[in-house]
Amino acid sequence: MKKFLLLMSLLVLVLSACAPTSGEEDKKEEAGSGEKTKIEYWHVNAETLGGKTVEKLVADFNAQSDTVEVTAKFNPDMYKGLMQNLQAEAATGNSPAVVQVGWAFLDYFSQNFEYVEPQTVIDKHFPESKTFLEDNFLPNIIDLAKNSEGSQVGIPYSLSTPVLYINKDMLKEAGLDENGPKTWQDVEKFAKQIKEKTGNYGIYIQEPADNWATQAILESNGAKMLDNGKATFASKEGIEAYEMYKKMVVDDKTALHIGWDQGIQGFIDGKVGMMYTTIAQRSNVQNNAKFDVATVKSPAFEGKEVRLPAGGAMLAITAKDEKEQKAAWEFMEYLYSVEGMAEWTKGTGYVPPRKDVAQSENGLKAFLEENEMMNAAIEQMDGVVPWTSFPGNSGLEAEQKLLDIRDEILGGSVDVEEGLKKTEKEINELLGK
Amino acid sequence: MLEKLKPYLFLAPAIVLLLVFTVIPMVYTLYLSFFDWNMISPTKEFVGLDNYINILTNDTTKKVIFNTFFYIVVLILFNCVITYIFAFIIGYVVKRFKGFYKVAFFIPSVISLVVGSILFTWILNPISGPVAIIGEMFGFSIPNWSKTDGLVIIVLSLIVSWKVFGYNFIVLYASVVGVSKEIIEAARLDNISNLRIFIDIVLPMSSATGFYILILTIVQGLQYVFTPIKVITQGGPNYGSSNLIYQAYHEAFVVYKTGQSAALAMITLLIFVILLLLEFLFVERRIYYENS
Amino acid sequence: MKTANYKNMILHIILISFILLTIYPIVFAISNSFKELSEAFTSTLSLIPEKFTLENYTGLFDSIPIVGITINTLITASVITVAKVATSFLAAYAIVYYQFKFKNVTYFALICTIFIPFTVTMIPNYLIISELGLQNNIWGVILPQMADAIGIFMLTQSMKGIPKSLIEAAKLDNIPTKYIMKDHILPMVKPAVTSTSIWFFILAWNEYVWPVLILKTTENFTLPLALQLYISSEGGTNFTVAMALSVITMAIPLGLYLIFQKHIINTFTTSGIK
Repeated sequence: MKKFLLLMSLLVLVLSACAPTSGEEDKKEEAGSGEKTKIEYWHVNAETLGGKTVEKLVADFNAQSDTVEVTAKFNPDMYKGLMQNLQAEAATGNSPAVVQVGWAFLDYFSQNFEYVEPQTVIDKHFPESKTFLEDNFLPNIIDLAKNSEGSQVGIPYSLSTPVLYINKDMLKEAGLDENGPKTWQDVEKFAKQIKEKTGNYGIYIQEPADNWATQAILESNGAKMLDNGKATFASKEGIEAYEMYKKMVVDDKTALHIGWDQGIQGFIDGKVGMMYTTIAQRSNVQNNAKFDVATVKSPAFEGKEVRLPAGGAMLAITAKDEKEQKAAWEFMEYLYSVEGMAEWTKGTGYVPPRKDVAQSENGLKAFLEENEMMNAAIEQMDGVVPWTSFPGNSGLEAEQKLLDIRDEILGGSVDVEEGLKKTEKEINELLGK
Repeated sequence: MLEKLKPYLFLAPAIVLLLVFTVIPMVYTLYLSFFDWNMISPTKEFVGLDNYINILTNDTTKKVIFNTFFYIVVLILFNCVITYIFAFIIGYVVKRFKGFYKVAFFIPSVISLVVGSILFTWILNPISGPVAIIGEMFGFSIPNWSKTDGLVIIVLSLIVSWKVFGYNFIVLYASVVGVSKEIIEAARLDNISNLRIFIDIVLPMSSATGFYILILTIVQGLQYVFTPIKVITQGGPNYGSSNLIYQAYHEAFVVYKTGQSAALAMITLLIFVILLLLEFLFVERRIYYENS
Repeated sequence: MKTANYKNMILHIILISFILLTIYPIVFAISNSFKELSEAFTSTLSLIPEKFTLENYTGLFDSIPIVGITINTLITASVITVAKVATSFLAAYAIVYYQFKFKNVTYFALICTIFIPFTVTMIPNYLIISELGLQNNIWGVILPQMADAIGIFMLTQSMKGIPKSLIEAAKLDNIPTKYIMKDHILPMVKPAVTSTSIWFFILAWNEYVWPVLILKTTENFTLPLALQLYISSEGGTNFTVAMALSVITMAIPLGLYLIFQKHIINTFTTSGIK
């Protein structure tokens, strides 16, 4: 044992002598290039979500900029994980310069963290780009990053919408139209027929720890999650939509009720005919499915228009001093250039929030011709609405309540109407309405 | 004089480190449990005992506390009782391949629970995992364990047990075979059954280690389950797999109720201390220490 | 005699099936680390890759500084292990062999810290580490973890089993404390020291929640953090690369155990843990 410990400590000594400690390195760099402003950019992009692209964009930017040096920090566990790290960082009085903020955290972020509106920074330091935001973004898209008080907290960056993935081979086998269903009523029929003819599950609707897909279904039937600061999802339309969802899961057993990862595996493995999930899963599905796979636009309810909550994130400027704020925008302007956006879309599978990137030659034209599965998401951009972010200190708790009731309804332990009404009441109490 | 200072000197490193990085943070948490705060907003609102009252009158907390005890029972069964029996079997019942068993049992211990959680999500996938496929051949299907109350706790505990088993086994094994051979041989000659030898001789004589494993199982076990909960279920379905540790994390970092989380952490601590006291009172006294 | 043999056979069969079950997930991991991702999705049952590929491994070496990350993990886990065992040993020695005021209270208070969940200490510790400028530095990960009451508890239990007379005699002979510890106590608590070291090492090796907060750039990551790069709920998990990384991650502690296995088990069994 002594030998073991001795060996260990020796090993440690040798290794620590070889490995440069990062602290020293930092100091050296600072001394070497005093004039470059150093800023941190916090993102959530794992290797499977375009991590490589973040690195490339940052490296390319650093190479062409004489004034700014960006360091990218990866935050595991998506936007929640990033928020958690940001919180710890804020407690120390420091902050990164640019952060990705998930839509669900829009209100929470803007109420609790210091940020500066991008337009303010542009007006002050880059008057020549004054109209950059108006010129390049659709109004319904740029509005996604406005909080409940109307402040433009950031700029939409990663944009995703839910689409319906279909296993064409399985639809054919079940004698169904291989172009997939157009409405939720069709989805219900399709799912039933798939189950009857092939014995497989008809559909999987994503069930992560957020309420995104459920909102898409409810609001597409005309329900509203939030109206004038008051929760209103337990309306006739909301209940009707949830009844349909519950019927597929609990009564017909044509829809799979399972965790997200497992649901995706099931679809790729050819055990589920259709899957309703984010376009960000496109490359995962496209590269790994061995059957003829396609995406179709998010189904509508008959005679109604789809309303699809935007998934993904915006970029917000959290830099405190002016020099860093200026550097932050310089970096962001690079990210939002047509080329930057195209690179981003290719690497991540998100939809570009900026106009004219999709059609542009130096943008995504060739890419979209090659990856037809992207088109469903790009075509439904006009149906995009904000992902409901409940206001006030209890906003995130309210969102949690919606998850709780989803578990109860899909678990079959509660009646839809009763459950939704109860949850709506509880949320309104939380919101003080 | 120096001799008198020595114990303090020896205790100092541990005490200073634990004070700075564990106790002071805990006191700070205790302080926070009387406020309504979200960790960053500049103002904290003093709410007295509201957070505690809120938690104790809340149905979710009741469910979570119940789950916590459920976890404890399952973990003790898997990680103490069964492990003990295995240690005895390898130590005294089987004669051959002991070395092989000792190595093989230990292997899963080195794996991280994040990896374990991902692995089991795939292996136990109810529709496309290998277990489901084999099950299908024999005509039975795997339930949706991650969405089923009760079952979800058992499966998550199994993942933890899979990892912890090997370490607990090695420690218990060493202790079990440390029991004097003569006593056991004598018992064997008297035709005493293995079961009685285990209960009447081995168990009491290795109880110090057994106690250590018991504490480790409860305390570390609950913290260990945190990882599979976070990776696989996020506490769901409807808090069905959450325990006190995960719930405190959930309150602090998912819904940002720092005060609630702090109060929950304090209640957890209180429950643990009571358990510890009970153990000290009823178990520690009866533990067998050679020469003491 | 025959029935006993028969019984023994059954016992061995049960034990071996048990081992097969516990080893299966690891074989599953290794097998998938040599599969192509699409194959991992569609043929979960087969353990032999249809198309054997090393790409998951080579891809890792190309995309992240995996050697540096492994070294970081090794340093972190080793330093934490040595520090925890050393501080615990000293504290346990004081508690078992000295009489002083508030001894029982001190011991009980120390043990209570075992029960403090990490959620409680996370944020305050982060503030301390930033204040010390140790962010994005493995020493920031190590510093708050240099003492652990589990070790104190374990070693105290073990030392209590050593006859007091032995130490008293040594004290009377005026042997310096240093040598009492080294020559008399350490050999007798070797198994406890070994088992706690293994425990601490594995724990530190796989630690994830705390390093996530401290370490920011890939070159300073530890292995469990690197694994997070391949797991994303939204973009999907790159299962085969994650498995390749997992295999690398488990290879080192497993290798250490196999090398020292004989030694460890012998230490355990010759003196036994009391």
